[in-house]
Formats: sequence, structure tokens, C-alpha cells
Amino acid sequence: MSGKLYLKNQIPAILVNLMGMLALALFLFANGNQFQTVLFIFTVWFIILATYLSVVYYVRKRYLNQLLDMTEQLEERYLIPEIMTIPGKADEQVFYQIMKMAEKSMLEKIGAIQNERKEYKEYIEQWIHEVKTPITAIKLLCENNRSPFARGILAELEHINQYTEQALYYARSEHTEKDYSVRETNLCDVVHRAVADNKYLLRQSNMTITIDDIENRVYTDDKWVRFILNQIIGNAIKYRIEQPVLHFSAIKTNDRVVLSVSDNGIGIPKSDLPRIFEKGFTGTNGRIGKNSTGMGLYLCKRLCDKLGIGLTAHSENKGTTIALSFQMNDFVIRVQG
Amino acid sequence: MKKIFIVEDDFTIQAQLKTLLSGNGYEVFAVTDFSQTIQQIKTFVPHLVILDIKLPGNNGFEICSEIRTFSDIPIVFVTSSNTDMDELNSIMLGGDAFITKPYNTAILLAKIAALLKRAYPSPQEEFFTWNGATLYPASSVIEYNGQKAELTKNELKILYYLFKNAGKICPRNDIVDFLWDNQLYVDDNALSVNVARIRDKLNKIGLTDFVKTKHRQGYTL
Repeated sequence: MSGKLYLKNQIPAILVNLMGMLALALFLFANGNQFQTVLFIFTVWFIILATYLSVVYYVRKRYLNQLLDMTEQLEERYLIPEIMTIPGKADEQVFYQIMKMAEKSMLEKIGAIQNERKEYKEYIEQWIHEVKTPITAIKLLCENNRSPFARGILAELEHINQYTEQALYYARSEHTEKDYSVRETNLCDVVHRAVADNKYLLRQSNMTITIDDIENRVYTDDKWVRFILNQIIGNAIKYRIEQPVLHFSAIKTNDRVVLSVSDNGIGIPKSDLPRIFEKGFTGTNGRIGKNSTGMGLYLCKRLCDKLGIGLTAHSENKGTTIALSFQMNDFVIRVQG
Repeated sequence: MKKIFIVEDDFTIQAQLKTLLSGNGYEVFAVTDFSQTIQQIKTFVPHLVILDIKLPGNNGFEICSEIRTFSDIPIVFVTSSNTDMDELNSIMLGGDAFITKPYNTAILLAKIAALLKRAYPSPQEEFFTWNGATLYPASSVIEYNGQKAELTKNELKILYYLFKNAGKICPRNDIVDFLWDNQLYVDDNALSVNVARIRDKLNKIGLTDFVKTKHRQGYTL
């Protein structure tokens, strides 16, 4: 509470007092009182008035500061009417009532939005499950009738599948509830599955694939890691050069297994590297006609953060290496024996 | 011939699965009346069931637990939902495999073959014969007139594919596809190199002109 403004608010009261003093002075002088007597009475009056004003100021200030502190400490500030004591003054009670009404409409709005979001998420998930039926049907149709034409469709189908998975995982990653399960997973299997998911795209782009011995067991959710690898492979295809190469390797240290995916593509400029995991960041290369969405790596990072996987990118002018680092803590190793 | 029963409500997928599986040497029957699924399974007596989860009438989980009351045949769940709950449910109710759509046909076929092998083990090693030559996939050996040649992983898979499609022309692209499905990521050039090596090995055991090149089409036995 600002003191200046408080004083300004008290101007009517002060004016009333001054007018009272003036009237009293006229009355006292008319009755033949001495100047000293009048001065004494006014001094006492003034002291009483000043004391009253400052005491009220400090009491109010303390109360309001407390309220302010309380509000600031609250995580959801709009809930302040729920925890503050109901004020006693008539006008304060009106403000309290207004706050209560505001809070109620706020809560209703939040509830409605939360509901809407939940329904939307459920709809997106359901839609994705439904669209997978025709995708499967097209895939089977093409694989049963192989031809260069069918191969082209199968490659595009892998694109479609990648985008639908992206939408699915985006819808899932927005929500805090846990929908993954950590299990012992063979890295080798996941890598092979991810390559199989992109078979026709990789074949179409003449990608040479080399997979080092990666018979490593890690503790993670294989579906999520497969999705992450799919995005990385998708990028390697998108930003490839002539005679593209994709190399998978793994290194095991004491407490972690690091899976590296390296390509010999156009790479990422140094200035872009720190920002590639940001949502919607397309980078210099993404903007040169590669229709980058800026979603793939952002989602990878988000999922990695949730699963506790370290995700780093490395690029020196040409080629990119993405490293996934899986934690193997003491506990896991001890349980493994 | 092993019999497979398909419970799938999308008719395109059902028909294509039938084509795919019968093309791979299975006898296939698909459900025609979803209220009679269990009766149809009982009359067909399949070696394996492919089961979708979302179905008209009883869902896949209910059908699965009902099958388990009278039979131990392998059950493969195929579904478009890939939540952990569904996967867990399918395993708890006695499903043997859980494959999500859109499935990789190679992986589906491999899963089916593995489950059938485990459920109905056959005592002798699987082998293929064509024009006097015999291929033993499990020991990675080809035999002709008592002479044997050892094969590498790539060579074995190429020959395996040719033997399976013996008499037919196998397009190069299809062979490379098959190799990729078996986690051997070779390209067109590597295929030529491998076929040349196979011919060398076959020549040494007296098998000449066994793998023929059809110009611009592919290879054939």
C-alpha cells in the first residue's frame, strides 16, 4: 500500500477536520479566548488526528502485505479467496464477493478447457488407431502385389505412418500420466525394427546401412525408443546426400550404454545445433525446401527426458551423429547379477 | 499343411491376409459370422489364431479367454492400438504374441512360423530340394551328389528365397526386400557379388548353371 495514495484518499477526512478547526477557531475567538489556548487545542487535535491516521495506515498495511504475500506464495493464485479470512468491512466484503465470483467462473472455465483437451486427445488417439486400419490394408495390398508402383506407394505409406505416429506421441507427451513401461530391451531388436519400419524409404534412397555389434540390453520402453529412432532415420533420409550411409553403433561404459546413429548427410550448421530440439525450430537446412516441421526432434527430446535418456546431437559441417545414452544404474546392474 | 484362423473385421485386411498366408503355405480360414466365432474355430480346428481386439460383438480379449477354456493353440493379437494396457491384457489372457498395425508382413510371418514351430515341433530338419540339390537352412549347407558347400548368412538367405520360389523368376528387388526382412541390409550391387560367390561355390561341388540370370528380370533356379 503506497503511503502517498493513502494520504490522498484521506483528503476528505482531513478537509472535514480542517473545516471543523476553522469553525471552532472562529467560535473560540468570538468568545474572547486567548491565542495560546486556541493553539493548544489545535495542537492536541492535530496530534490525535495524525496518530489516528498513521495507526490505521500501519494496521492496514500489515494486513494487506500479509494478503499479498499469501497470494504470491500460492501456485494457483486465483484460489486466494479460498484461504483468506473473510474481511469485516462492508466495502471489503463486496470486493471479497467479487473475487469469489471471479474465482468460480475461472474454475468453471478451466474445467471446461481441461475436459475439452481430454476429449480432443482421446479423439486424436482414436482417430490414429482408426487410420491405421486402412494403412495396414494398403500395405498388405501393395505387398501382395509387388511392382515398382506398389513400392512407391509403400514408401509414401511409411511417411504417412511416421506422421501419424508423430501426432500420437505428441498427444501422449502433452499429458503427464505415465503411459510407458520400462522393460529389459535388446537394443539390437529395436534398431532392426526401426529399420524395418522405414524399409521402403531407405531402399528408395539407396541408403547403405551398417549396424555394429549392438547386442546390449537396456532398461527402457521399446515402443518409445523405436519411435525416436524412426524420427532420426527419417531425418537421415530427408537430409541425405549422394551415396547416403547410416551407421548404428553402441558403446558400453560403466553406468551407461550409448547408442549412436551417424549419417553422412548435409549436417547441421554450428549456429543451429543448440536449438534443434526446440519446438518448431526448422533451422537453415530445414528452410531450404525440405519442409521441416520442427516437431520430430522436439518430440524425441521430450520423450527422452521422460524416459531418462540423454539425447545429444553432433555435427561437423557434414554428417550428423545423434547419440542416445541409456542409464544403467547400480541397482539395475546388481539385479542383473 | 498348418491351418490358420483369422478373426478380423476389416474385409480388405482379411482378404489380403488370406492371400499373404496362403501364399506362404498355410491353409487359411477367416471368420464369416462374428456371433459364431467360437463355433467356427471349433469346427475348423486351426493350429493358430490371428485375433483383432476391436471386433463387432465380443472383443478379442473375450474371444481369447474363451478359446483358452478349450484349447492351447497359439494366439497372435493384431491391433491398431498400442497401449501398454492392451498389451498387458493380451498376455494376461493367454495371448502368445502382440503385433501392432500397420504390421510388417515379414515380422508377422516370422512370428507365426516361430510360434508354430514351438507349439508343434517337427523332429527332422527342414530342407528344400530342386534338381537334385538340397538346401539345409538350419545348418546353412547345400548338398549335391554327396558333396557339400558351406554358405554364409547372405548366401543362405538368397538361396533360401530362390528354393522357396523355385521355378519362378525372382526379381532382384524382391530378393533384396527379402534380405532386408531378414536384417541383412545389402544393396543391388552386393546382391550381384553374393550371387557370383554362390555360383563359384556351386561350381566347386559340380552344380553348374544352377542359378540362372534372367536378363532385366532377376534370378531363377
